[in-house]
Amino acid sequence: MFRDYSISKKLTWMNMLVSGAALLLACGAFIAYDVISIRDGMVYNLSMQAQIVGFNSTSALLFNDPHSAENTLSGLKAWPNIVSAGINTLDGRAFATYQRGQSSQTPAMPPILAGQVETYRFNRSEVVLVRRIVFQDKPTGIVYIQSDLEGLKVRVAQYLGVAAAVLVSSLLAVVLISPVFRRAIGEPIVHLAGIARIVSRDKDYSVRAKPIGNRDELSVLVDDFNGMLSQIQERDTALQQAHDELEQRVEERTKELATTNKELEAFSYSVSHDLRAPLRSIDGFSQALLEDYSDKLDSAGRDHLERVRRAAQRMSVLIDDMLNLSRVTRSVMRREKLDLSAVAKSIAADLQEAEPGRRVEFVIESDLMAVGDSQLLRAAMENLLRNSWKYTSAHPCARIEFGKSQQNGKHPFFVRDDGAGFDPRYSDRLFGAFQRLHTATEFPGTGVGLATVQRIIHRHGGEIWAEGAVEKGATFYFTL
Amino acid sequence: MRKDSTTSRSQSTPQRGAPGGNQCLLPRVIALVAVGAIFGPLGLPAQKSKPREFEVKATYLYNFARFVEWPTTAAAAKNDSFPICVLGQDPFGPALDTIVAGETIGGKAVLAKRVLKPQGAVSCRVLYISSSEETRLREVLAGLDKAAVLTVSDIPQFSQRGGMIQFVQESNKIRFEVNLASAEDAGLTLSSELLKVAVLVRKNSQPGD
Repeated sequence: MFRDYSISKKLTWMNMLVSGAALLLACGAFIAYDVISIRDGMVYNLSMQAQIVGFNSTSALLFNDPHSAENTLSGLKAWPNIVSAGINTLDGRAFATYQRGQSSQTPAMPPILAGQVETYRFNRSEVVLVRRIVFQDKPTGIVYIQSDLEGLKVRVAQYLGVAAAVLVSSLLAVVLISPVFRRAIGEPIVHLAGIARIVSRDKDYSVRAKPIGNRDELSVLVDDFNGMLSQIQERDTALQQAHDELEQRVEERTKELATTNKELEAFSYSVSHDLRAPLRSIDGFSQALLEDYSDKLDSAGRDHLERVRRAAQRMSVLIDDMLNLSRVTRSVMRREKLDLSAVAKSIAADLQEAEPGRRVEFVIESDLMAVGDSQLLRAAMENLLRNSWKYTSAHPCARIEFGKSQQNGKHPFFVRDDGAGFDPRYSDRLFGAFQRLHTATEFPGTGVGLATVQRIIHRHGGEIWAEGAVEKGATFYFTL
Repeated sequence: MRKDSTTSRSQSTPQRGAPGGNQCLLPRVIALVAVGAIFGPLGLPAQKSKPREFEVKATYLYNFARFVEWPTTAAAAKNDSFPICVLGQDPFGPALDTIVAGETIGGKAVLAKRVLKPQGAVSCRVLYISSSEETRLREVLAGLDKAAVLTVSDIPQFSQRGGMIQFVQESNKIRFEVNLASAEDAGLTLSSELLKVAVLVRKNSQPGD
């Protein structure tokens, strides 16, 4: 296909086609013009000969001397193209004839119309010219001359030969000249295309197209292409530099942050850990006091000691939760596939076993799979379900669901209950550590559970959000 | 020369009518063919036989005149007409008058005239000397006195005897001899075209005969 030819080939073909077409048209026009003028010339010559023959045959016609007319006609031998000629009387009778060969016949003559002196007719191989012989304004007879078209044919053949020669030689010239076009147009474009391919394939902006010496559009194109490459290269270098710098800075910061974080975690761990020893002492000695000196204490004293113990135990739970929370942040993630439905079912079973007196209906969608750290996800699920279990405790019978829904093109998992719910105005405080929307007397808790869940979900790159209303239950959505 | 023109006419009429072969035109075409067949032969004077000898000769008289130049000083040049005259017993009958009727030469109307005496023929352009004058030919030619008149005759040896153009019969064809010297003596110029078709052209005057 022409479309798939290279530029150089296209240029060569275009040149050949254009010059070929132009030459064909020009040759055709010349030949047509020449044929017309040769025909005109033939008609003119025949007309002159007819006039001479006619004039010289007038007296022969008037004095009925065919022999003399034939003498006159035989002068036409000088023109070998004349096949036959003749003189007719006014009433159409043949008066004298001339034949070049033996077998020639009287040709079919076109009629001379009234008012015409002369007429002619061309057919494939000959032309016949008929002319009135007029002597002193009086028609005297008719002369006709029949000529073959050999001269015309030879001329046309010569022309066709010349035209073919010119055509062939000019096409040859085009083929010979085409390397010049190729060098001037084809090669720079091919070269440019090759460079562009290297650039786009290898992302190598250091290559450059070979500049052309002159000032044509191609040269400008090549220069601009090189200019663009230079700009891209500069920008690339600058970008790389900025990127490297940024990376280095990020690395430094990360290192700093990691150090700080580690210190902080170590600090909070050791604090939490170290806080337990005095707590155990407070609790232990309070217990010893209650057991060993209960007879020496009145009921108010015993009550105070009980309060001291409860506070100490509560603090211990708080410290455990804090340690858990920091563990969630610090532990190494191991991603694997796990069945969240099975996890939810086992937690639900545990919950029901712990408090068999409660009437809670669990609705758990089967075969919901997820990818993540199994320990962390189990902790998150346990927190969410335990949360629902806790906040439905005020209701005589409750329903807790786990499933997958569809929201704004996302497919979050959800845990839904019909328990106490929450005021949506404070929904942003739900996931803050140690932040609670209910008092400990209403629902016991440390306010660490949902914070833990949020951290686990975030560590998995997911999102968590909640919907709910007071006494209308709550729904926690999360993606992973 | 003029023969059978009627025959060709009656044939060409139906040929011209036939190609228009349209249904409603057909009756009219047939009518035209019929009319052509009836009136065609009658439309022109029928001349079935070969033109009679003197009709041809009368035509020649007129045609001779067309190949001759007269001197501007000639007596005939003063005339407004172009008279072709017959001296002696007229053998042409009405043929000469018919042939020259309406013709002009050099812008002058050709007319046929009969003259009785050679003196009366001086103002003629062409003079046909009838065979009836054979015996007094010498007188006649002398009477013209080298006036610029083209003399034509059937009289034997007319061209040898000082006449200019003499009709001769040659194998059933009418031809002519020319005495160029006589014509030149009279100041006439005969066209080479005319001499070309003459049977014989005498160039030297032959006195004594």
